[in-house]
Amino acid sequence: MLELPRELPPDPAHPMSKASFAAAVLLPFVLWADGGAVWGADPSSPDPVQRGEYVFIAAGCHGCHTDEKNGGAPLAGGRAMKTPFGTFHTPNITPDPQHGIGRWSDADFVQALRHGREPDGEALFPAFPYTSYTKMSERDLLDLRAYLMTRPPVAAPNRPHDLTPPFGWRFLLPVWQWLHLEEGTLADDPAKPAEWNRGRYLVEALGHCGECHSPRGLMGGMDHDRALAGNPNGPDGDKVPGLRPGVKGAGELSVGEIETVLELGMQPDGDFVGGAMGEVVRNTTSKLTPADRHAIAVYLKSLPPVH
Amino acid sequence: MDHRILNALMAAAVSAGLSTAFTPAQAASPVEQVAAREQAMKRMGSGVQAVGKYLKGEGGSPADARSAAAAITEVSSLNPKQVFAEGTGIGVAKSDAKPELWQNFGKVQEIWAQLKPAAAKLDAAGSSGNKQQIAQAMQEVGKVCSSCHENYRRTPPTQ
Repeated sequence: MLELPRELPPDPAHPMSKASFAAAVLLPFVLWADGGAVWGADPSSPDPVQRGEYVFIAAGCHGCHTDEKNGGAPLAGGRAMKTPFGTFHTPNITPDPQHGIGRWSDADFVQALRHGREPDGEALFPAFPYTSYTKMSERDLLDLRAYLMTRPPVAAPNRPHDLTPPFGWRFLLPVWQWLHLEEGTLADDPAKPAEWNRGRYLVEALGHCGECHSPRGLMGGMDHDRALAGNPNGPDGDKVPGLRPGVKGAGELSVGEIETVLELGMQPDGDFVGGAMGEVVRNTTSKLTPADRHAIAVYLKSLPPVH
Repeated sequence: MDHRILNALMAAAVSAGLSTAFTPAQAASPVEQVAAREQAMKRMGSGVQAVGKYLKGEGGSPADARSAAAAITEVSSLNPKQVFAEGTGIGVAKSDAKPELWQNFGKVQEIWAQLKPAAAKLDAAGSSGNKQQIAQAMQEVGKVCSSCHENYRRTPPTQ
């Protein structure tokens, strides 16, 4: 009787066994098909696309630019975002040349995220959180674009916003930007540990946590004195808790407890976060590296307490 | 006490308590129904809370995963139509259940049905004693909980 060998004999001409070759080729697809699993995203990769994927995850682009509830294609936009200023419909950011950002150059992309302007110079509405993204490093911006350009293009036209005057008057936006947009990269504070600086960058720039967790003034600008102190009027009318020490609930968590919320969505009492934060955990924080979740927690605990 | 005995006792206690709370014959008032739902959620919550502590290295053991799985299995055996009875939304006692929950009840039932298999995985992970496997199973349990909370629960004011 022919007995099958337990292991494939090593082939000197092909040092990689068939099994490991199959694993190397198939595994990424298996993980990809699994849905939630991340493959490729790597903050320490020299490859701009892999690094860019991690930036994409940390910046939470997918959630707003995908109309998940109505079965929209990834990044094709169309998600309605209700705000006190009216309803925004997020745009298509796939590489489609006509409806997406396929024709944008590196410089166009940087201009949009850093300066809040379209390639033709027209101001963008700050529902797009460029007041946070302006703080991103040049490398992160370019790697993010590199990753976005690898996504499947979708020929879905953008829907116009449905805003209440005077918020829908685009010609007023440069004034708004002059008042509320502080352009420029977030420089590391040399007096603080690298971990703290990384946490601050993740919270203030990529994660744009303040966009929901900080209160806004009458014209929709973030109230910087009360940054991350909570927002009584968050997205979809939900109350958004403060994250600074001294805030009841979220502000009382330890570093370890914050990490668990970010990783699993689980709070200290065993309850799981829902609403917009549930989505943030699903799309972003659960996919970050443990070191990055730790850095976020360390930074949040270092913020000035709210009394 | 042997953990298996403890688990069995806990499961019995949970099912006795919860099934009483959700017996339709009692015609509980909406306020009582909200309280019973909260109790059921807390039952699952305190189970996974212990697992969270174990995963963070703050005590506990893999047996906690089995106890949490037992609590989730018990609660998930309840009929979602009773757990989320009509007329127990926001405005009734401390309810945070959004009207969308009843507008999309088919989807809610689908999510509810995912609890049991997720608990089975958590139980298996607890039996294996493998921390990595428990963490992975917890992630799956979390996904089920969050997917319902994400769309159908108002963010509680203290969260």
